Amino acid sequence: MAAVDVAPSPELPSARALHTTLRLGARVGSIVVLLVAWELLARSGLFTSFQLPRLSDVLARIWHDALAGDLALNTAVTIGRAMLGFAIAAVAGVVLGLAISRLAVARWFFDPIVSIGFPMPKIAFLPVIILWLGVYNTAKLTMIVFDAIFPVIAATVIALQGVERELIWSARNMGASERQLLWQVMLPAALPQIMTGLQVALPLSLIVAVFTEMKMGGYGLGAAMETAARFANSVGVFAGIVEISVVGYVLVKAMALIRRRLLIWHQEAAESSGT
Amino acid sequence: MAQIVVDRVRHIYRPPRGKPVPALEDVSLEVREREFLALLGPSGCGKSTLLYLIGGFLPVEGGGIAVDGKPVAAPGPDRGIVFQHFALFPWKTVRGNILYGLERQGMAPAERQRRAQQFIDLVGLRGFEDSFPSHLSGGMKQRAALARTLAFDPKILLMDEPFGALDAQTRHLMQTELLGIWRRTPKTVIFVTHDVQEAVYLADRVAVMSARPGRIKSIVDIKLDKDDPNVFKAKAFVDQVDAIWGLVKEEAIKAQGVHGAPTGRAS
Amino acid sequence: MKTLLRYAPLLILAIGWELVARLELVSNDALPPLTQVATAWLDLIRDGDLVPNGLASLWRGAAGLGLAIAIGGALGILMARWKAVNVIFGPLVEMFYPVPKSALIPVTVIWLGMGNGSKILLIALGCMIPVTIGAFNGARAAEQTLIWSARSMGADRLRTLWDVVMPSALPELLNGIRTALALAFILLVSSEFIAAQDGVGYLISSLGDDGNYASMYAVVLTVALCGFAADRLYQMFMQRMLIWRL
Repeated sequence: MAAVDVAPSPELPSARALHTTLRLGARVGSIVVLLVAWELLARSGLFTSFQLPRLSDVLARIWHDALAGDLALNTAVTIGRAMLGFAIAAVAGVVLGLAISRLAVARWFFDPIVSIGFPMPKIAFLPVIILWLGVYNTAKLTMIVFDAIFPVIAATVIALQGVERELIWSARNMGASERQLLWQVMLPAALPQIMTGLQVALPLSLIVAVFTEMKMGGYGLGAAMETAARFANSVGVFAGIVEISVVGYVLVKAMALIRRRLLIWHQEAAESSGT
Repeated sequence: MAQIVVDRVRHIYRPPRGKPVPALEDVSLEVREREFLALLGPSGCGKSTLLYLIGGFLPVEGGGIAVDGKPVAAPGPDRGIVFQHFALFPWKTVRGNILYGLERQGMAPAERQRRAQQFIDLVGLRGFEDSFPSHLSGGMKQRAALARTLAFDPKILLMDEPFGALDAQTRHLMQTELLGIWRRTPKTVIFVTHDVQEAVYLADRVAVMSARPGRIKSIVDIKLDKDDPNVFKAKAFVDQVDAIWGLVKEEAIKAQGVHGAPTGRAS
Repeated sequence: MKTLLRYAPLLILAIGWELVARLELVSNDALPPLTQVATAWLDLIRDGDLVPNGLASLWRGAAGLGLAIAIGGALGILMARWKAVNVIFGPLVEMFYPVPKSALIPVTVIWLGMGNGSKILLIALGCMIPVTIGAFNGARAAEQTLIWSARSMGADRLRTLWDVVMPSALPELLNGIRTALALAFILLVSSEFIAAQDGVGYLISSLGDDGNYASMYAVVLTVALCGFAADRLYQMFMQRMLIWRL
């Protein structure tokens, strides 16, 4: 609720560093508080140890899995699956997006497919995919790609369409060919929004990977968690949630870092430090 | 007894990130009932802040402000405000915006509608009552904002650079209209602006503020024949504008110096 | 006419499907002809399997989504305007944000079994996040001058929350709800695939297990199209609500 016409004096760099550290500390602090609250709540007797197992038990279980090598195996399988699906969706999505925005025929053909496909719960097609490809890894991968490709296509198309007219005109004015225009002007200009689409597709790939494992079995964190659920092993289920969340968090953070590196020139990068 | 008494007020601007900065320091001012007072000063001098303090939107941090003898504690319909960027509720039509204040007053529905229409006509927006703000031009939006505030009949009108966002021609028209409206329904007006000509044309008195932290540097009485159609070229007008501009310019240069910009030019 | 041209590719795909199936380019089990799927769909409606399961799913989805919108919306707005609420709930929301919602399916099942409760809880929890974030961002962005104008017209703090902050937050909130709507469909179908005794997801699974593929396709397409239709209808609703925008 500050006055509008008074300009503040610039902040010292050391003060700024202190501020960022404090904010980070507050974030970490609140997570620590939540974890402590979990432990206390579990011990309080308000819930049975089945409904809310103790954090200490859950962590012990994770540690046990880590030592046995199960954790590493399942995590690697799930991440590998998710990343592979993501990579395919990313490349195919950008290519398709490019085609749609450049070729009228492609646009005409794919537009209804994408606009209907986007809001559909594509997971409903999993039984169809299983029917075609069996209960093996290919089916899981296909489902991931099917789900993750849509946000990439949509983001690419919108990004390319949204390139400022003045940028294109300036490039043409300076003698750029169509090919140069595409690679040197339009794609870099579209990159921020394409990256946003990729940032949506990545956690989506993970979610779908985990789910397909739950439904279809095999290796992976999702399968392990579902097995624990079938044996009514609530510690195992909670352990799964923690593991998957950590993986999700790490992937999202890694993506944000990559984005900052690639888009240093984009003003958003300056604003999003700390996200 | 002055209607508004500002007594040695101070206020500190505390940005969400960064050091607090004194915005106003020892500001004292008295505003008489029904006078038109312009608040003039360089950017950053705190003139809008002072307005918001009188309006009760920001807390006073030293000294006090009293209206009709009572200290200001919160916003209220006795001090109507008009903002530079109109602050119209974008989800309500023009009529809806004007009705809002009247609804808050607890006015009866039939009377509300009648009064709203009266002010729509007054500002010349007949035919646009049911339009949304996003479909109006800048000048029309400002008229709607003005109508909204005038409709609930505040005895004091606080105006924060209300014509600042308008183009020069519209601004000119709006100034004349405002003067006309004020003469017909006299109210106490405190009008913040950085435009010296606008201040001299509209006001009875012009208060010039110093650079940050703001104080009242001097107050000038305006003696003009405002009905003269060529008033902007009249000698009296030009002289007063020059004199006041001289006062403001000193402060503007000081303000630039505070911000670290080079001040090498001689005034 | 224009709409026909726009959606013609779908017609082409449909014809392609029928041809591929009739010509048995793929086994008829894996891809039954579209016409067969259509008749299966009609049978499902007449014989009654689709409607009761559909309603069961609809009730769960609506209940879960309704809870998510009511609680999430209120929470987001309060978090934006009251520091105390933000301090308590902010970290909770941040912590839940990166959790893959499908990972919550087994937990809700061990808590509430395979019936309605677990699904409603799952959808309510999962969908609350986008709604809260939308409401929060929207309420944060409410312009100070709008709030001050209302206050100067005699509205007290609570009133301004309802009269100014909520309408200001509406665009972002409605967008958050749109995301939540799509998420609700996904969570509903996923949880019914894994742990349910009725509902459309369960129906699809059991039809597949029975080898009744034409019917399975019929339900899959129904669900997919319902998701699409819901989004379209919601978009129209959004446009109506935000008619005051540019």
